[in-house]
Amino acid sequence: MKGLSFDLVASIMTGIFVCLIVFPVFALFTTTSFGELIYQIKSPSVLSAVFISLETSSVVVLMALFLGIPTAYFLAMKNFKGKEILDTLVILPLSMPPLVAGLALLILLGGNSKFGSVLRNHGIDLIFSKKGIIVAQLFVSIPFLIKSAREAFESINKDVINASLTLGASKFHTFKTVLIPLSKNGIYTGMIMTWARALGEFGATSMVAGCIPFRTETMTVSIYQNAMSGEMNSAIAVALFLSVFSFTLLLIFKLRVRGQTENERYTQ
Amino acid sequence: MSVTLNKISKSYNGRSVLKDLSLKIRKGEFHVLLGPSGGGKTTILSVIAGLTRQDSGSVFIGKREVSNLSPGERRIGFVFQDYALFPHLTVFENAAYGLRVKKVKESKIRRKVDCYLSKVHLEKEKDKFPQQLSGGQKQRAALARALVAEPEVLLMDEPMNSLDTLTKETIRNELKSIHQEMEMTTVYVTHNQDEAILVADQVSVLHHGEIEQIESPDELFYHPKTEFVARFVGIKNILKVFPMEISNSEAAVQINSDGLGQPIKIRVKRYPILEKGKEINLCIHPDKIILKRINEAVDVNLNRISGKIMDRTKNSRDFRTMVDIGGMVLHAATRGGLFDFEANENVWVCFAPDALHPLCGKKSRVPLSKRRCMNRLYSK
Repeated sequence: MKGLSFDLVASIMTGIFVCLIVFPVFALFTTTSFGELIYQIKSPSVLSAVFISLETSSVVVLMALFLGIPTAYFLAMKNFKGKEILDTLVILPLSMPPLVAGLALLILLGGNSKFGSVLRNHGIDLIFSKKGIIVAQLFVSIPFLIKSAREAFESINKDVINASLTLGASKFHTFKTVLIPLSKNGIYTGMIMTWARALGEFGATSMVAGCIPFRTETMTVSIYQNAMSGEMNSAIAVALFLSVFSFTLLLIFKLRVRGQTENERYTQ
Repeated sequence: MSVTLNKISKSYNGRSVLKDLSLKIRKGEFHVLLGPSGGGKTTILSVIAGLTRQDSGSVFIGKREVSNLSPGERRIGFVFQDYALFPHLTVFENAAYGLRVKKVKESKIRRKVDCYLSKVHLEKEKDKFPQQLSGGQKQRAALARALVAEPEVLLMDEPMNSLDTLTKETIRNELKSIHQEMEMTTVYVTHNQDEAILVADQVSVLHHGEIEQIESPDELFYHPKTEFVARFVGIKNILKVFPMEISNSEAAVQINSDGLGQPIKIRVKRYPILEKGKEINLCIHPDKIILKRINEAVDVNLNRISGKIMDRTKNSRDFRTMVDIGGMVLHAATRGGLFDFEANENVWVCFAPDALHPLCGKKSRVPLSKRRCMNRLYSK
């Protein structure tokens, strides 16, 4: 009986949580007509924001893979002094308010800083540009990939790695042929989370890249700009596109992982 | 190839796991590292394989010093405790992994892998993934993977731990026949005495990072040299004795073991280590104890102690009869598995004077200067 009442409480809590997610999204759908939605999505400013967001977030995922996977490997496989500090640094962007991150990047990369001047002298101008968006999105989203990949690496039986080494494989060959294939689900999860976080990034991006239409205006920035200037239909169209896109992305990923898990279970 | 460990020491977080350990394993030998958990057995394998770097000392495979070589350069094969098969590769691809790393021609890979998979009876399972195999099949796949690369030394870390008794027996026999066929130096780690007896040419018993004794299985189980080894191999008959008189061939000693109400006088073979008045531990294997009914005649050349039957117990290999000899319990092998005594029945506990041997020494495969004790003990 006690178990039953606990189950009931848990079900009610789950119901409240679902409402918390579904109602706001539903509200977006009900405030506009389908025709208006299509019209707004086809408008050049919305399309531009969508393309800028998709382009920058895709580049961010690739860069996160390039930088994050070796970092995750290093953290998972090596024991060294200061590991705890590096570990904390890696997840710091998760706890840092995006506006603070944006401000820090603005100070570092802006023309007034030494580093910013060096970059500018070499023709790299990050402030108020797409490159700036990428840097800001990468800063706030890369911890998701590192964390996820690291957990995946750590879950691999160390003897499987040792077996590869005793069979003559180098560490890189072992990484390529054993660690990466066995961690792929964790890496995919990290990629999806990174992509979703980059797509939804607003604070740091707007600080570093500003809100220049057709140049640095991402979907989230566009929603904010349009909502603030009273263009609600336009803001809702972008918000809906972003929500549906994120939901579809997560759903496809979940189905893919479930399919794989079931396939593995079947073969056991 | 022979394997030589020269004064190997290894500590983890200040805790010493191997202490100045030296060991020579001959070419083609099936050498078992036996001991309880935490004795340093697996660390020795890891040091030979190069997966763990020793703090000091050197490792040789044949005449080649491999102390600073990576695992892949040492030409060893390793069978891990939980098999460590690559779960994303088929049995064939698992076995072919080492050859693919070495960029061997595809036709040669096929030929060699098929040959070794048939040796371990896994031809029909070659397209299966490890998750689809039974424990025994996984074990065979791991063995095939280690052998395909034709290593100079095969290292096995408790490979039969998770197998059932029947599968263990089958795999053990296959392993022995493969070893005999390939004559490959094999270092095998186990904590199971039975396994050690059945597969080993030589056994090293490890305790707290040191070798207690190196011996052939028969010698080890009948003549343990230290109290630890005796107890580890299941011999509980350890007698604390006090030599009273020593003649040319025998010594009269008094058993003073704890718990004994009255000291018991017996005769033992005269070992050079026995000194009048100097207490020493002697050990007797349960197989060498004969139980006689109180009305049965006893050979006058045997020691005879009166005792009372307590119970029957079983170790992993056979049944033992427990006899109380006045406050101390001796274990006697139960002949033919038959327990034909009544509980509390009075019996004679009989054994020959040379059935007991002193627990005095350590390793036997050590420099001659250090073997004096052993040589003196067993010289006839």
